[in-house]
Amino acid sequence: METAPLIAMQSVGKTYPMGDLTVHALRGLDLTIARGELVVLLGPSGSGKTTTLNILGGLDRPTGGRVVVEGEEIARFDERRLTAYRRTKVGFVFQFFNLIPTLTALENVEFALSLTGRGSSLIRRSRELLALVSLEDRADHFPSQLSGGEQQRVAIARALANRPALLLCDEPTGNLDVETARQVLQAIRDLNRREGATVILVSHNASIAPMADRVVRLHDGSVAKIESNPHPAPVGELAW
Amino acid sequence: MKILLLKTLRDLRATLAQSVALIVIVMLGVASFAATVAAYRDLDTSYNRTYEDLRFADVTFAVQGAPESIVEEILVLEGVRNATGRLVIDTGMELPERDGETTDPIRGRLIGLPVPERPQVNDVLILEGRYFNSTDETSILADTHFAEYFHLGSGDAVSPLLNGRPVEFQIIGVAASPEYLMASPSRQELIPSARSFGVFFLPLEVLQKHLGLEGKINDIAIRLENGADEQTVVRRVQEKLASFGLSATTLRADQPSHANLTADVNQFRDVAYLLPSVILLVAAISVYMMLGRHVRAQTPQIGLMKALGYADSAVTGHYLSYALVIGLIGSAAGALLGLPLGSWITKMYAAELGIPIIQTQFYPDLILEGAALSLAATVLAGFAPARGAARQTPAQAMRFDPAIAQVKGRVSFLERVIHLPLELRLPIRNIFRVRRRSLTTALGIIFAYILILMVWGLRDSIEIMVSRNYETVERWDISVSFASLQTDSTGRDIRGWSGVQAAEPVLQIPVTLRTDTRSEEILLTAFDPGQTMHALQLPGGITPREAFAGGRLLISTGLADLLDLSEGDRVTLDTAFGPQEFTLGPTTDEMMNAVGYLPLDEIQKRMGTPALPYNGLWLDVDDSQSRRIKTDLYRLPGTAGVLRKSDLVADIRGYMGLFYLLIGIMMAVAITMAFALLFNAMMVTVLERKREFATMRSIGSEIRRIAMLLVTENLLLWLLTLAPGLLLGHWMALQVGTAFSVDLFTFRIVLAPSTYVFTAAGIFLTMILATLPAIRRVSNLNLAEATKVMN
Ligand SMILES: Nc1ncnc2c1ncn2[C@@H]1O[C@H](COP(=O)(O)OP(=O)(O)OP(=O)(O)O)[C@@H](O)[C@H]1O
Ligand SMILES: [Mg+2]
Repeated sequence: METAPLIAMQSVGKTYPMGDLTVHALRGLDLTIARGELVVLLGPSGSGKTTTLNILGGLDRPTGGRVVVEGEEIARFDERRLTAYRRTKVGFVFQFFNLIPTLTALENVEFALSLTGRGSSLIRRSRELLALVSLEDRADHFPSQLSGGEQQRVAIARALANRPALLLCDEPTGNLDVETARQVLQAIRDLNRREGATVILVSHNASIAPMADRVVRLHDGSVAKIESNPHPAPVGELAW
Repeated sequence: MKILLLKTLRDLRATLAQSVALIVIVMLGVASFAATVAAYRDLDTSYNRTYEDLRFADVTFAVQGAPESIVEEILVLEGVRNATGRLVIDTGMELPERDGETTDPIRGRLIGLPVPERPQVNDVLILEGRYFNSTDETSILADTHFAEYFHLGSGDAVSPLLNGRPVEFQIIGVAASPEYLMASPSRQELIPSARSFGVFFLPLEVLQKHLGLEGKINDIAIRLENGADEQTVVRRVQEKLASFGLSATTLRADQPSHANLTADVNQFRDVAYLLPSVILLVAAISVYMMLGRHVRAQTPQIGLMKALGYADSAVTGHYLSYALVIGLIGSAAGALLGLPLGSWITKMYAAELGIPIIQTQFYPDLILEGAALSLAATVLAGFAPARGAARQTPAQAMRFDPAIAQVKGRVSFLERVIHLPLELRLPIRNIFRVRRRSLTTALGIIFAYILILMVWGLRDSIEIMVSRNYETVERWDISVSFASLQTDSTGRDIRGWSGVQAAEPVLQIPVTLRTDTRSEEILLTAFDPGQTMHALQLPGGITPREAFAGGRLLISTGLADLLDLSEGDRVTLDTAFGPQEFTLGPTTDEMMNAVGYLPLDEIQKRMGTPALPYNGLWLDVDDSQSRRIKTDLYRLPGTAGVLRKSDLVADIRGYMGLFYLLIGIMMAVAITMAFALLFNAMMVTVLERKREFATMRSIGSEIRRIAMLLVTENLLLWLLTLAPGLLLGHWMALQVGTAFSVDLFTFRIVLAPSTYVFTAAGIFLTMILATLPAIRRVSNLNLAEATKVMN
């Protein structure tokens, strides 16, 4: 028997009222994702990728349908439970990094860790997480002193701080050059394989598709096509 | 360009709360300026109109007694335009019941005026009833202040004591006099008290007859020819009057009512210019701070605008227009609020003082000035940051991330060694790493201190001055003065009355104190150096006996400063018994400036009287019997006035009521503005850090945690600004106090410790209150949006 999926989205809808007309960001989206999978979400601009990710991450609420994560319907959560869900279950990597500017690389990770635990072990664990993205030597730098790729790797380390079941990355390489983008993708791939984190990676760059276990293509707010990749390619082999 | 105008309006709306706060700041600046200056001008013109219409005297001479014919002789002197001879006496007076209660006797000043023609100098304005005609024998006119206080009008009766006997007069009208716009009995008793002092007018002949002084006058008021030299004319008149016991020459500047009004109007002027200027300055700097932050945060958009081909001037103009809109709306609202407020203040003031002729005017120039001032301030404030932003290259500007770019430098050694918990580390970082933001917020807080302490300092100083003077310095309960010198028996009798615990004899006479170059009218008080009713405020360790040793004269510290005198200097006192030379002792630090003290035995020596000369008593009495004692004192023959200290203090509080009204208005302005400032600072902080807070929430921070961070940051900022805020606020209060100094009072800015505590606490509370809407904003942030894009 197949184990229960980590995520089950059933006919999820999201509309934005815009004056007289209504914008349909998502219309009847169905998607199931298994634990430990690395899924790449592709689609043209405006197809609903960010919206899907935001709903899964508890940053936004659907206006219709069901979103079940680990057996719980998160759309029904109140603000407090949603906050707890974001803190414990989800790690978010944004396109624009979103590090806290007055905290160093190490402290940005420590901040996330401090949301669930305390004590002197926080610092040690923060260093471990930075090491995971090969940034030990940049620990005491402020975001303003880090390159874009370094900032994004700090963001990944932060996203992993509380061992989330789900790592959501919205165009994590959108602002990076090819070489840096490779490093970041490598870091994500490693975490997926080593820590067993389920990863959803949004991009509109189809060339990263080969690294995924599955590729989901969105079009106009719903799933247009799903392709399985029995043998995902290593990041180093991706052709840009 | 239309699209930019649209953007200006959008910007205004997006930052509505802060824009409103800024508009309020500008509005209050303009309103307080327009209101107080307008009121000052109105009051000034009202006084002057009254003086002109009623031919207010330029100089008044008091003599022991002179024949009426002397007026004719004075009239022909060169430089004298008009002269009026009058008989002016102070006496006790019985009043009808008021509100069903018997009233205390009061001190009445009876002024005999020529009949039937009106006085050429110091005419009266009949507010109700009529002036005298030749047949009036028992008619009297009551001054408006007194009539109003006791609800007196035509038909009521009053009974002044004349030659020790009550004589009933019928009130035929209510009048106002330019000499008593403020009904102050003398320059030494400046606080007007309708409760205990009333001015009455009656036909000169009637008064002369009752006093047995037919054909005699004791007061000559003159008006000078235009361009006449005052000193020369005064000398000529003094020569004429020398042989009639000239006891006082009072120039208009020293006339009690006028001096009082002038001091008042000047205070008003200081308030009118000084406080609103500070407020407007604060407004300007706030707009500067706010706009600077606003523009810096929009740097990427400016880059985009320039990349799209907008010229620098268009970009600068765009941000300037935002400042202009704030300035315009603020000024317009300020004018709408300020001018009606101004005439309201004038009317309140004039009604309270009993100024009969009120003129309120519309002053368009004030609106223009206030508006121009604040517009200039806002536009100037908007210009620099706008041009700075426009100067950047589009590429530079578009890459700018306001949040990240502000943090500079490396983690300091100290931070590595002292490992504070994150809850403290982050707020400290924010304060010390994002300096521009902290500085602007800190400045806002310090401004709040300045605004509040500057206004509150005035209130405190007056309260402390009054309470010190009447609790520590003046120890007597009742002060009684007699029309002439008393024999030993008067004091002995009164000491024997029930309820009287002690009675110390004093001699109080108005004299002129002269130095080589200057002269001042002062009240000379002589008493036994061992008396306990008046605590001289001598420099540390000196007893009154030591101070008076060798018959030295003690004057107030304020007067010594004014005339640049010090211990050991020689001065001359012009008295009714001739000029007398004295050596100055140490000064006594009292509230009233125009006072001097001598030991009684020294005066006795100089006057050559057989017994100690005294014309008054300071009494210590049982509180429960003080009213009755006051009445009994008035019934004594020869009593000129009886003053209860408690009444005096109540009068002072009433007199201060107006001043407090003004301070109250300023206080409201200061507090509102302080709130707007703090609110603005807190809101801008949150706006700037929207993305940071949204990120925190996205990774699972609870609102409470973010709120705690903000509150901790504010607490730290509050602690950091505490000392500079209090110091600068105190300093500004001192500056305001200097502007307020008046010749008559020694006015020192003193702030009660509780004021500092309350101000600091109030500011902290306001900061926390102002953080609440900011926190609400954080909790309402649309996370999906706030984390998606830059700003
Ligand atoms: N706050 C909003 N208000 C109105 N419409 C919105 C809002 N957010 C998104 N949309 C609309 O919803 C649709 C989906 O947006 P979404 O951001 O999910 O697209 P996307 O696939 O992430 O696009 P891109 O690749 O450009 O990031 C778009 O048509 C967008 O215009
Ligand atoms: Mg997107």
